[in-house]
Amino acid sequence: VIGSRRALPVALAALLVGLGGTGAAWADESCVECHSMNDEERLVAPTRTYPQDIHAQRGLGCASCHGGDPADLDVTAMDPDKGFKGKLGRGQIAAMCASCHANAAFMKRFNPRPYIFSMDEFRTSVHYQRAARGDLKAATCIDCHGVHGIRPHTDPTSPVYARNVPATCAKCHNSRVLKGYGIPTNQYSLYVGSVHGRALLEKGDLSAPACNDCHGNHGAAPPGLKEVALVCGTCHGREAELFEGSAMRRGMEAMGKPGCVTCHGNHGVVHPTDAMLSAAPGGKCADCHEPGSSCAQATDRIIARFQALRDTLVLADSLLKLSEVRGMQTGPGRDALREAQDRLVGTRAGLHSFSDSLITGVLAEGLSHAGQAVSRGRETLRDWRNRRVGLALSLVVILITMGWLVATIRRRESSR
Amino acid sequence: VKPALRAWLDERLGLEPLRHLAEKKDVPVHRHTFWYYWGGMTLFLFGVQVVTGILLLLYYRPSADEAYESVRFIMSRVAFGWLIRSIHSWSANLMIGAAMVHMFSVFLMKSYRGPREVTWLSGMALLGLALGFGFSGYLLPWNQLAFFATKVGTDIVGDLPLVGHFLLRLMRGGEHITGGTLTRFFGVHVAILPAVTTVVLAAHIYLVQRHGMSVPPGVERAGSSVPRMKFVPDFLMRDAVGWLAALGLLALLSALFPWELGVKADPYAPAPAGIRPEWYFGWMFQTLKLLPAHLAGLEGELVGILGIGVVAVVWTLAPFLDDPRAAGGRARVWTAFGVVALIYIVLLTVLSYAGAK
Repeated sequence: VIGSRRALPVALAALLVGLGGTGAAWADESCVECHSMNDEERLVAPTRTYPQDIHAQRGLGCASCHGGDPADLDVTAMDPDKGFKGKLGRGQIAAMCASCHANAAFMKRFNPRPYIFSMDEFRTSVHYQRAARGDLKAATCIDCHGVHGIRPHTDPTSPVYARNVPATCAKCHNSRVLKGYGIPTNQYSLYVGSVHGRALLEKGDLSAPACNDCHGNHGAAPPGLKEVALVCGTCHGREAELFEGSAMRRGMEAMGKPGCVTCHGNHGVVHPTDAMLSAAPGGKCADCHEPGSSCAQATDRIIARFQALRDTLVLADSLLKLSEVRGMQTGPGRDALREAQDRLVGTRAGLHSFSDSLITGVLAEGLSHAGQAVSRGRETLRDWRNRRVGLALSLVVILITMGWLVATIRRRESSR
Repeated sequence: VKPALRAWLDERLGLEPLRHLAEKKDVPVHRHTFWYYWGGMTLFLFGVQVVTGILLLLYYRPSADEAYESVRFIMSRVAFGWLIRSIHSWSANLMIGAAMVHMFSVFLMKSYRGPREVTWLSGMALLGLALGFGFSGYLLPWNQLAFFATKVGTDIVGDLPLVGHFLLRLMRGGEHITGGTLTRFFGVHVAILPAVTTVVLAAHIYLVQRHGMSVPPGVERAGSSVPRMKFVPDFLMRDAVGWLAALGLLALLSALFPWELGVKADPYAPAPAGIRPEWYFGWMFQTLKLLPAHLAGLEGELVGILGIGVVAVVWTLAPFLDDPRAAGGRARVWTAFGVVALIYIVLLTVLSYAGAK
């Protein structure tokens, strides 16, 4: 439902679109005519950047947001009686944007499957809540999306394009802007070096998460203690599912420790390594578990078998590689090795269950497959040696037969 | 017992004419006798192909889903499967090589002269059939390299004017190379080509027996009577030495360099680097690569295919176009044609391996 306050800009915009508004429609407005000739740079600037704005390209003009009468060539175009609002205050911006972007019927004119902005969602954000308490630094729409040059989020030059999001957030989330807020401001530098940041920013992998994928965008807020696993679980589903049912989750909750990030970290999360799985100093388990405790002993047992699986995989791979270099067919050995590697990956995921029986079960399967791969590798190398012996024997038989034939031929020749 | 058994068999099978033929058959002995062994060598290697091919047939499955896996199974799980498959692949290549040596020696010794014109024609048909065996067999393991080489090969046929597209569809069993193409190639490889080859090979061997070995013109002109060697057992024993050497070479190649299987064909994967046909098609492939995109208003590739076709037809008709006396300017031109063709094929084959453009 659109409130009466929102009706005017919507009606104006609808009028422009309804009139067959094209990208050029706004350019005929009196606003452009006066502002482009103005001496003040701040008043001229919008006329330069607005042609590239998605709103301009959809036929929306200045009056759509600022009100007034664009057909009036005089200063009376900016008569408040004609709905002129001038420059919107920071507190008014979200409602203004929502007047169109929260209106599904209106947005569907431009896109059959539009994103519908939710003011309710925005109200859950820390940004909104701080703004509501009078914090003028709290971000609103234009701080992330820009103004008078807004581009769709799919445009690589948009500040909210996935690869640009971390830098956009960092415009405010830095020690200079947030000085005195008492919250960490090193997220960006941590993120850039994280496995997520490297994937997104260096490799250009758009499936890697940016800030908004974990914190939300219009409802941005830090996840609570219980939500962390849910947030990570949106991508790392299997691990989150196992962790959810684990005794470890309950224990950590009782201790007031968040899941996932306690071991992996948050903004600076790096690619997990097998070295993390250790109760010895340097391993992640050692952060909480005393060496020699029952948990540490269970971990040691798992680590020993885990290491055995890794070692067997390395051995199997080297045997099969050697066989391949010698021109041998290693298909079945490679199949077994792949199965074992799948179990290794399964074990790494299974660790999040913190269940001894589940982890050792997967490890046992992995060791069985890896053992088969080693046997196949050894068999192939034995076969390779046997082939050489067989070749030597068959060549000896062939050469003896040839020698006998040549001798017979010579004997027959000399007898003639 | 032996004479009685022989008489018993002779009465029922009529072996006497065969014995008579074996006793009567002889081979001229001169400085070029070495080249007479290459026909027998080709026949021996063909025999190896038949035996190993039948053994492979016991395990091979001709479908896109199972072909690669079945060959992998043969190579890794079937006792001596690796040996049979490697011998089949190596022997195929050696057989084509032996057939080429045989053809060039016949051409350069002008053994195609009357009355051996039909023997030559049947030999050329056999070489064509051998190339057909090679082309159809190359796809059967259904690996990536074979898949794309077959695609390139059939694309070239598709470039022929008028009949090109029809032939392409006929060979592929549709517009694209699919499991249907594999089944088709399999049928051609194990049924159609063997049947036709059996008939043509029988005719070729019959004609060789009927006309005996040709004596080269140079030896003929020397005047003195050419000494002769009994085919059974003297020539046959020498043949056997060559066959044993070939068998040893096959064992050596198969054990030290087992034929690779590669990666399973994936029609949606990008074409792998280094797509190349079997070496005996390399000179044709290289010829097409060397030609400019357009030549005399026609596509360069089309000119190349037509050119190779015309030369092949002229080559096949040599017995009818060359001077029957094997003397004079025309005969020398034909000898030069043979030498140039030999050098060209060797050079272009080497170039195709060197990757030169």
